Amino acid sequence: MGRYITRRAGYCLLSLFLLSLTIFFFVRVTGDPAALLVEPGASAEDIAAIHHQFGLDRPLWVQYGLFMWTLFHGDLGQSFYYQTPVFDLYMSRLPNSLMLAAVAMIFSLIVGIPSGILASVRVGRFWDSAGKMFALLGLSLPSFWVGLVLILVFSVYLKWLPSSGAGTPLHLLMPAFALGWYFAAAHMRLTRSSMLDVLGSEYIKLARLKGLPEALVIAKHAFKNALIPVITLAGINLVIMVNVAVVVETVFAWPGIGRLLYEGITFRDFPVVQGVVLLGGAMIVLVNLLVDILYATIDPRIRLER
Amino acid sequence: MAQMAGVRGPAAADRLHDAQLTRRELLGAAAIGLVAAVPAIASAAGPSGQLTWGIHVSMAPTWFDPAETQGIITPFMVLYALHDAVVKPMPGTSQAPCLAETWSKNEDDKSYEFVLRRNAKFHNGDQVTAEDVKFSFERYKGAAHELMKSKVALIETPDSQRVVFKLKEAWPDFLTFYSSASGAGWVVPKKYLDKVGDEGFKQAPIGAGPYKFVSFTPGVELVLEAFEDYWRKTPSVKRLVMKVLPDEATRLAALKRGEVDIAYSVRGELAEELVKTPGLALKPVVLQAPNWIYFPEQWEPKSPWHDIRVRQAANLAIDRDGMSKALFLGYCKITNNAVVPYTFDYFWQPPEAVYDPEKAQKLMAQAGFAGGFDAGPLYCDSSYSNMAEVVVDNFAQIGIRAKLQPIERAGFVAGYSNKKYTKGIIQGASGAFGNAATRMASFVVKDGAFAYGNYPDIDELFPAQADELDHDKRSAILAKMQQLVHEKAIYAPIWQLGFLNGIGPRVGESTFGTIPGFAYTAPFEDLTLNAA
Amino acid sequence: MSTPSDVVVLPSPSPTPRRAVRRLAIRFGDFPVIPTAILLAVALVAIFANQLAPHNPEIGSLTARFKPPFWQTGGSMKYILGTDQLGRDVLSRLIFGARVSMVVGIMAVLVAGVVGTVLGILSGYLGGWVDQVIMRVTDTWLALPALTFAIFLAAIVGPSMWNIVIILGVTYWTRYARVIRGEVLSLREREFVRLAVVAGCSKWSIMARHILPNVVNSAIVLGSLMLGVVIITEATLSFLGVGVPPPQPAWGLMLSDGKQGLMVGYWWLTVFPGLCIMLMVLSANLIGDWLRVKLDPQLRQL
Repeated sequence: MGRYITRRAGYCLLSLFLLSLTIFFFVRVTGDPAALLVEPGASAEDIAAIHHQFGLDRPLWVQYGLFMWTLFHGDLGQSFYYQTPVFDLYMSRLPNSLMLAAVAMIFSLIVGIPSGILASVRVGRFWDSAGKMFALLGLSLPSFWVGLVLILVFSVYLKWLPSSGAGTPLHLLMPAFALGWYFAAAHMRLTRSSMLDVLGSEYIKLARLKGLPEALVIAKHAFKNALIPVITLAGINLVIMVNVAVVVETVFAWPGIGRLLYEGITFRDFPVVQGVVLLGGAMIVLVNLLVDILYATIDPRIRLER
Repeated sequence: MAQMAGVRGPAAADRLHDAQLTRRELLGAAAIGLVAAVPAIASAAGPSGQLTWGIHVSMAPTWFDPAETQGIITPFMVLYALHDAVVKPMPGTSQAPCLAETWSKNEDDKSYEFVLRRNAKFHNGDQVTAEDVKFSFERYKGAAHELMKSKVALIETPDSQRVVFKLKEAWPDFLTFYSSASGAGWVVPKKYLDKVGDEGFKQAPIGAGPYKFVSFTPGVELVLEAFEDYWRKTPSVKRLVMKVLPDEATRLAALKRGEVDIAYSVRGELAEELVKTPGLALKPVVLQAPNWIYFPEQWEPKSPWHDIRVRQAANLAIDRDGMSKALFLGYCKITNNAVVPYTFDYFWQPPEAVYDPEKAQKLMAQAGFAGGFDAGPLYCDSSYSNMAEVVVDNFAQIGIRAKLQPIERAGFVAGYSNKKYTKGIIQGASGAFGNAATRMASFVVKDGAFAYGNYPDIDELFPAQADELDHDKRSAILAKMQQLVHEKAIYAPIWQLGFLNGIGPRVGESTFGTIPGFAYTAPFEDLTLNAA
Repeated sequence: MSTPSDVVVLPSPSPTPRRAVRRLAIRFGDFPVIPTAILLAVALVAIFANQLAPHNPEIGSLTARFKPPFWQTGGSMKYILGTDQLGRDVLSRLIFGARVSMVVGIMAVLVAGVVGTVLGILSGYLGGWVDQVIMRVTDTWLALPALTFAIFLAAIVGPSMWNIVIILGVTYWTRYARVIRGEVLSLREREFVRLAVVAGCSKWSIMARHILPNVVNSAIVLGSLMLGVVIITEATLSFLGVGVPPPQPAWGLMLSDGKQGLMVGYWWLTVFPGLCIMLMVLSANLIGDWLRVKLDPQLRQL
């Protein structure tokens, strides 16, 4: 087990290193930040001065070396655009992103788990398909459109909810719904298949044979066991939600990580893009590692797999 | 000897239509705790109340420091609040005495003397001195700083209220650059900067403008508070909050709900809705940013664009009026001058733009392209692709078949200036500061940053005007150059962009459009709230 | 947006394909007829767009902007579903948009599928350093959210329909690679593969003749589910300004262009393309779900 964990952790570090290399060179291919800081017509000297200020006039490998050097010292560098340490920017946005993701996750589980259970026990064709359709609908509509329709209905017509920004719990509702709905289908699918697995297992058959009422079998015995993989997936998705909420955050002007990254890309703010992608990547890699270890603990066969 | 008088009062405020927040809106907002500030009662008792902006771009701390002004217009949305300049564009004039009460230049045009106001103060209470002006000029590193520093021999400060700029040689554009074509004339406190340094200054800027810095959250909001000792007048609104709302539809929704009072950039259908909504008002501003179509292939003998008739046909094919009405409610200004905005010095007014597709088709036939031709890609900044779509459509009507290539802004500017778009058509724009000469230098004459080719007869006029000190003679040369640009149809001008903004019922004087060619609200001290 | 499911593939037993086919025959009864009909209809519309569209989808008239659908006042049979902000016929744009969506959807899924399947087979069967390299690259890819990656690529290669195909393909191949590799790992231990090795078949012929046919099912299931993801991502890229370039009629672009009209009451600009996207993606997902259950229980977690 110890060897397995060491090896997996080694892989994680390797993929983070590859990620740093990829992102570093990727951002530099997308364009020149100086072009955005000057109006068309600026002199070559002005542009060169900006390059010098950002250290972009050095050879690429020197820039990369410096980036890694400061990274090892726990410094992600300074944003070109905001002129603030990237880490500070990240930490100022992270609570918002986590809050949004947490509430979105609650929405998606509220939709996903019941519809998954209904689909697995087939309580009736109508509820089965209605739940399934609602979950799948979230996957079938671009979230920017869902977001705008929500603003139109709940902010402009009904005037119940604030249109954008952060601050009160009410600000959270619409963006969390728009984000969470997209993930509902994944949770429905896993709940359903996981329920089917459990319902087909020996001890459920035994429970039925004992004459327990079907509702109790489903609620008490099956659901509890079927929930484990769903919770695992939810944990992973929570991390992913933090990192993919770009569109929802743009529509609702939600000050989260996704928008920080997206603005970083549009402003060609290399340190921000590098920092956000690396921190996000680290989160994803870490959660995957934990899940791998968890499953390896449960199922020893996995450890032997190459 | 030029002598300037004090600034006139703000232009007459546009009255609002039905400036009433409906009861339902108020209740709705109050129910969720959103009515943060009680609408102000405008009174002589000092600044009160709050105004909130929905801003379309994310503000950067570099905007708080005039030394970093890279010649783009956006930072000025903040600079006008935080800082003040020796001379700057104000309502009614592009060169208004601000921190300088008066100025004069000597007979040989080689020396400018500014006399500072005694009542001009920084937010920390220090007086604005000649030393600050000199310091600010010297630390300025934004657009055109090398040009300016190469022209200025020395700056003298005979006493704390007088600054003298001594030029190496006579330079007719000195004031243009000092007052509006760069940020060099904006003044920061030397003592404070010596203490906190450049980085510290961006975290907590202190200026001589009408509003003090309170807080800034990157990507979220900037909060400012009235500076009661501002020399020009005490601002009427106490607190300004500038919120970043990147999505256009969201900005309108926030304006409708009263979450913001002023929304920048609300275009097209959203602007129509704004006009229809009771309580909201549209505030169109004509920018100093012309849009144009450029034909980079015109210097290639084999290209259809080499034939002037084809370029003239393209000019006739663009339905500027229809396009302005469709996309900007008709608020763009069609000047027919491709690269020079009408608010600039030495602007030349060409004959009126004509839309005549039939004549265009005849010209095409005469040029031997009765069946049209494939023009390749039409490159544009993707934020202007709605305009370019219409142009492609217009061109298609006369047989010029182009394929739209919208490119994200960073890539487009780089591609345009690195002269990568040699084949096809370019839709360009520039909001850079300057005058007719600076625009020609970038976009028309040989070796201009965005000139893909050149015409010797225009080029030889350029040095002649640069040394010409007589305003009228220089004006005549620059007019001749612009006329040649027009006659050779080097460009197909589109218009000067109409920037559409919205204001809510709480705004009294919005100040939009009072400074010619300026996109945003300013001067901030003139803003008022409606009496509740 | 990233579909979460690529991250974890829970282990579960694998069936023989023959049994899956038999079960498919037995349970043909709940075949998703309507979704299949919808996808076929979209395909037909895409193929015969030139014959079906009443107007040129890219050329409009500024005097005929924002005409509502025919049943509303101000609408006419000339523009059955109304016109857009530049006076172009919405119906014609939808019809030609079907072509873009189909091409982008199917080609992107194919690119991702072919690249991912080939790499997944190589990785799983060859093992060793090949496996290491491919899997480390896959891990790296997965650590970068798909949408971020797509925005990057779009900024680098610039917009065009075919570039979008490449972008989406390059973004999503990792999902195939991981799933297929997992299957190959168990397939290579099976009798028929061992027999083939004993019989002296080369590695390449084993991969092509014995492994590939056995993973095609999974690839198809994954493809039908990915079709939806790809189409939604295409629309999202348009919203972020890096999608299929205008004036080309693409549903995602129409939805994103028309979103401003939503607030003004020009509902037809977004409702129709939104419905088209929704129906297509929903159908693809329903078919995918059905195939998943029928063909490949190993993919049930997806």
